[in-house]
Amino acid sequence: MKHLILYLSLMVSVSAAAQIVPSNGVKSSEPEWIAIKGATIVVSPEKKIDNGTLLIHNGVIEKVGSIVVLPKGTVEIDLSGKVIYPAFIELNSSIGMPELKKPQWNPRPQMESSKDSKYYWNESIHPEIDAKNLFSYDQKGVEGMYAKGFGYALTRQHDGISQGTGAFIALGHRDNENKVLDAPNAFFSFKKGVSRQTYPSSQMGAIALLRQALYDAQWYASQTDQSLNLSLDALNNQLRSTLFFHTYDKLEILRANKIANEFDLKFTYIGSGSEYTVAKELKALGSSVVIPLNFPEAYDVKDPYISRQIPLSDLRHWELAPKNPYILVENGVEICISGNENAKSEDFWKNLRIARANGLSRSEAIKALTVRPASIIGLSDKIGTLEQGKIASFMVYSEDPLEKESELLEAWLNGKRKVVKTLKEQQITGKYDLIIAGKTLEINITGDAEKPVGKIKMPYTDEESGMIKDSLVSASVSVEKNDITIQFIAVSNDWKGNVSLHGKVTERLGIFEGGGILPDGTWVKWSGIKKDKGEKEKEKQKEQEIDSTYQLWYPNMAYGFDSIPQQESYIITNATLWTNEEIGIIPNATLVIENGKIKFAGQGPYPKPAGSIVIDAKGKHVTTGIIDEHSHIAISKGVNEGGQAISAEVSIADVVNPEDINIYRQLSGGVTAAQLLHGSANPIGGRSALIKLKWGSTAEEMLIENAPKFIKFALGENVKQANWGDFNTVRFPQTRMGVEQVYIDAFTRARAYEAAWKAYKADTSSVKPARDLELDALVEILNSERFISCHSYVQSEINMLMKVAESFGFRVNTFTHILEGYKVADKMKEHGAGGSTFSDWWAYKYEVNDAIPYNANILHEQGVVVAINSDDAEMGRRLNQEAAKSVKYGGMSEEDAWKMVTLNPAKLLHLDDRMGSLKEGKDADIVIWSTNPLSIDAKVEKTFVDGILLYDQSRTRELEKRDRAEKARIITKMLSSNKRGEPSKRFVRKKRGQYHCDTLGEEYSTEENSH
Amino acid sequence: MKVVIYTLMLLASFSAVAQQPNRILLLDGFLHVGNGEVMERSAILIEDGKIIDVRNSLAYTVKPEEWDTIIRLEGKHIYPGFVAPNTTLGLTEIDAVRATRDFDEVGTYNPHVRTQIAFNAESKVISTVRTNGVLLGQPTPRGGRISGTSSIMRFDGWNWEDATISANDGIHINWPSSLDGGGWWAEPKPKERNKNYSSELDELYAFFDMAQAYNEIKSEERDVRLEGMKGVFEDDLRVFFHAEELQQILDIIDFVKKYKIKHPVIIGGYDAYLVTDLLRDHKIAVMLPRVHSLPENEDDPVDLPYRLPTLLKEGNVKFCLQNAGDMEAMNARNIPFLAGTARAYGLSTEEAVKAISLSSCEILGIDKDYGSVEKGKSATLFVSEGDALDIRTNQLLLALIDGQFMPLTNMQTDLYYKYTGKYKRAGKGK
Repeated sequence: MKHLILYLSLMVSVSAAAQIVPSNGVKSSEPEWIAIKGATIVVSPEKKIDNGTLLIHNGVIEKVGSIVVLPKGTVEIDLSGKVIYPAFIELNSSIGMPELKKPQWNPRPQMESSKDSKYYWNESIHPEIDAKNLFSYDQKGVEGMYAKGFGYALTRQHDGISQGTGAFIALGHRDNENKVLDAPNAFFSFKKGVSRQTYPSSQMGAIALLRQALYDAQWYASQTDQSLNLSLDALNNQLRSTLFFHTYDKLEILRANKIANEFDLKFTYIGSGSEYTVAKELKALGSSVVIPLNFPEAYDVKDPYISRQIPLSDLRHWELAPKNPYILVENGVEICISGNENAKSEDFWKNLRIARANGLSRSEAIKALTVRPASIIGLSDKIGTLEQGKIASFMVYSEDPLEKESELLEAWLNGKRKVVKTLKEQQITGKYDLIIAGKTLEINITGDAEKPVGKIKMPYTDEESGMIKDSLVSASVSVEKNDITIQFIAVSNDWKGNVSLHGKVTERLGIFEGGGILPDGTWVKWSGIKKDKGEKEKEKQKEQEIDSTYQLWYPNMAYGFDSIPQQESYIITNATLWTNEEIGIIPNATLVIENGKIKFAGQGPYPKPAGSIVIDAKGKHVTTGIIDEHSHIAISKGVNEGGQAISAEVSIADVVNPEDINIYRQLSGGVTAAQLLHGSANPIGGRSALIKLKWGSTAEEMLIENAPKFIKFALGENVKQANWGDFNTVRFPQTRMGVEQVYIDAFTRARAYEAAWKAYKADTSSVKPARDLELDALVEILNSERFISCHSYVQSEINMLMKVAESFGFRVNTFTHILEGYKVADKMKEHGAGGSTFSDWWAYKYEVNDAIPYNANILHEQGVVVAINSDDAEMGRRLNQEAAKSVKYGGMSEEDAWKMVTLNPAKLLHLDDRMGSLKEGKDADIVIWSTNPLSIDAKVEKTFVDGILLYDQSRTRELEKRDRAEKARIITKMLSSNKRGEPSKRFVRKKRGQYHCDTLGEEYSTEENSH
Repeated sequence: MKVVIYTLMLLASFSAVAQQPNRILLLDGFLHVGNGEVMERSAILIEDGKIIDVRNSLAYTVKPEEWDTIIRLEGKHIYPGFVAPNTTLGLTEIDAVRATRDFDEVGTYNPHVRTQIAFNAESKVISTVRTNGVLLGQPTPRGGRISGTSSIMRFDGWNWEDATISANDGIHINWPSSLDGGGWWAEPKPKERNKNYSSELDELYAFFDMAQAYNEIKSEERDVRLEGMKGVFEDDLRVFFHAEELQQILDIIDFVKKYKIKHPVIIGGYDAYLVTDLLRDHKIAVMLPRVHSLPENEDDPVDLPYRLPTLLKEGNVKFCLQNAGDMEAMNARNIPFLAGTARAYGLSTEEAVKAISLSSCEILGIDKDYGSVEKGKSATLFVSEGDALDIRTNQLLLALIDGQFMPLTNMQTDLYYKYTGKYKRAGKGK
């Protein structure tokens, strides 16, 4: 018999018990059939039965309906007037999981995994972890869950990039009533978690690591003679199951989805609550999103000194976050709702009703809490509704909790009842005629059923006037089940002194009846007859007002657009054009823009596209947009993957942040395109993102189409960690000597890797090499399909890298910073390298001691293509001034100086066929300057990117005004919320900072810049 | 010795050791006086390092025999020496090399710690700053609540004693931040209202009370630290308050009133534009934050730092420009261009010049001798090929500090000539 049950439990995973536990003492029995009658039963999002009956058999729903025939021996429970909802399903739980322990801090970096070789080499990839094995019953946790209406939890430790498998638990009231359901799944995230291993240290590193692990798993599956790897085994098994990706901001969803597409996977996303700004993109992904109800509290805005510093983006988020569920649903995104981020159940319920008031429909809300998560986890046949055959886990509420404040009365988990709260059954509030020994007094009972308060109107004869007046006397009233007691001190003409009454209540008729004792000690009969309804009840019936209006900005912050500006045709007349072409700088000329391209640039007759906007630029100078060869703006969560000496597998293009205010600021300085470079923490850094500064667009839209491929290299003090303190002496290399060997080793491995693939492609029956994302990029470099932009200062190392490159048969495309380039300009010219330099920086570290501001001039004289770059969000918006320094230091012509920030960076980035000069057919990235752009007096009046007017000096003043008004409006709204005494939080100021070459970790630096 | 130099002394070859002329006449240059005025054709008469007169050259008869040197400067621009207040210039050479950093002493209250004696008169960085027209500076300590005492130095001298213009001109207080937190960059914590703000203020008040009492008692027992505060109560010692936020500025005003501080200066004062009337009424001067910096808040106008000088001018607050911040020592050579940007965003040319010359010297208390090209003042000035606030035309033809001609070369020009020479010899140069 024992064997048989065990066997069955494998077949039917929802068995009552997987084992028979010997009982201590006499076996206790429970009723087999239970019927709940009289309640309003929300069976499913679409179906609600008033005054229905729910029949439960052994923890499973047998029948639900208006009329249900009950078998003999059914225990009947009357829940008249109550509301029953199916238990909600939490997909983002960590209930019952052991606390995560972060390994002890140690100043020495940990390069390698501390686990043994049957696991993946990186500690943040641990798909083999199965939450079932970690789960232990947590009574408090379960109570917290059902207080929010949840009866099911998909739980796991929230740790790591590949986190493992969650345990799906049908929660029970006791350990042995818990049921683990079979629901294969796996969780992923971009957070490294508690691993102390140095790699990955950035989000782009996490992305690359996950991709590499997935490729490793694919390869592992194709091999037969590999030594067992528990991690890759587990990962391969998981990929056939339900996959969840836990994200911490909306942009991470879009990033994770690129991985989903690459590996033909489908993720359900655990969201963060700000998805409404990317609702359209999410709809296109076709994935469901599990969203929290973590609506921000209002800021405490009573102090204007503090409130003026709250960014508009935060204020707008406060206002729009409650609309997150509605906006997603409205845009066709399938949502689930999680209660995991609400520590208090009251907050969950309150926010759920707030979401409803902001437009979320009742049926969508129920779906998001029940049938949708059930379907995602593949358990629609067992959970999610109260239909026949489903698990009998449901909650009983005093009122409909989606409509009004209500109380949880009973939690039924796996067919087991727990009474959470017994309501005072009698609603006794109201006005009554109290008839005591034939005398009638009026009593008004107010307050709620828990704590009623009585006031009795008592007529007495005023001694002076002889008139009959009323006095109001307090009475203590209490109700216990059907019994009522009323006690008061009478002051009427009839009685003076204590009157105590006890009686029975018949709520339905509004009648009290019983006996009592008068001040003189006589027993009397009394009764009360209700005259009208209490006020509290009336109040509860008030309908919630629904406001689902909203206006998004692009991006949803200061200087965001109401709608994304469109391409237009423009004719810019009477301008001085800095063409960067042979015709040079020409006065009184015309520039025509059509379809995002330059249609005409020159003097004389010009084409006039229909519907063109004419701009008279008399006295103005018009140039092509500035291109910043070396920028670190608009990057999320880490500019350096410094965890390893080589990180060619990571890409800045994976982590572009389109909501960095610095994009708008750079537009105001005439910058239209930039290379977003990996930092300089390691000899071979990551791949670049080449972007146009399309404020208001998405990260993907900003990436330049078919852009040439670039990668960051770095030399010198940063890569040998010279200024990183005494503990960072572990990572190879620590000297310039070591740096050379890193390159030689890397390219030697890359060659071998390429050869292995060639051999495999020639004979596919041979052993397939494992895909290595790092070596992929290095092979591209060897084949001149990916170009190097190398952070460099000292001539020795510049020379060294050129020699290494030559020995492997490729060229270094650009030396960036290159402050000692002037010493080896001839060698650079011969090698074919370009230089992208600072205009006048020096003296910030030892290796820039010989830097001179004449560098650009000397390089230029020697025929090297030179650009001047920023590496700094502040300087990036006045690169025109930096270009002017070439005129000052060394006397470059103005025409050539201007090319330092436009045409030459375009050449270095291999974009000069589409950008960098005013030539027909090139991209209409155009700047209108108030005067000669090299003049210190020059101001940007208009900046166009691809023919779209994205910055306009006069419009920016309008936007400032609009932003101020918007801020004032929301702060006023917050103030009224402050006054209502709603919870508020103090403003936490955003760190002001930016990424520099040497910034490590995922956070911005506010440290000094050491480049 | 009557030398008349008609041609320009390109990268003038005067060196510190060469015999220097004593009586110098600068003729016909376009003079930016520094006080807001101009003289289109000027005659500047210099003797013993002093400007003995400034005349309109059209009405001035030159007697060549009276002069050791007459320099004709038609079409050229003359400016008073520009000033680098609140700088670590001279106290550091290479930011990343700890051995060269001499501006941040251990301790919270260090009024007794003085920059004057740490000033490196031979600084290579200074030689590159001077060649852009910045001829004076205020080496300033950093760190702690009271960082120490600054001095005002000329960028010429054999040693710190020679170089001193005004020793121990003021103490520097880093006003407690009304916002706090942030952690460090690898483990950042959110910034929020500084919970300790009022206790930190109390501590500062207590320190001042103690210093005031010490000064009144004139005890036999000397306290080196409190001696450093004496000048605040007795003499003309300035008090420089380093602060940016509105709350700080308002509290500084109270502090200034309580201790009757004679020469209060706010360094930074990003929010000062919001309370210009109060600052004006309390005669508190402001050394504005580096013009070339990003707006402090995400929502601020993108060009707000560029416009702050104009906003303070419109509010009639005494102000000048300074350059503290990232890489401030080497960046001090760009101070003229900070004024240039301030001009582009609202100041007139002469207001912009004044903001880095006379106004700076007034705020530092050395305007009797420095800051403008006027009769009786030190001959500390320079001549530029063109507009010195514009990067392209800031080309120095000569620079005088106290009447001494400064070399217009530095280690960077040396390397420039060395390597252009290399390419010329190889037949590849221009």
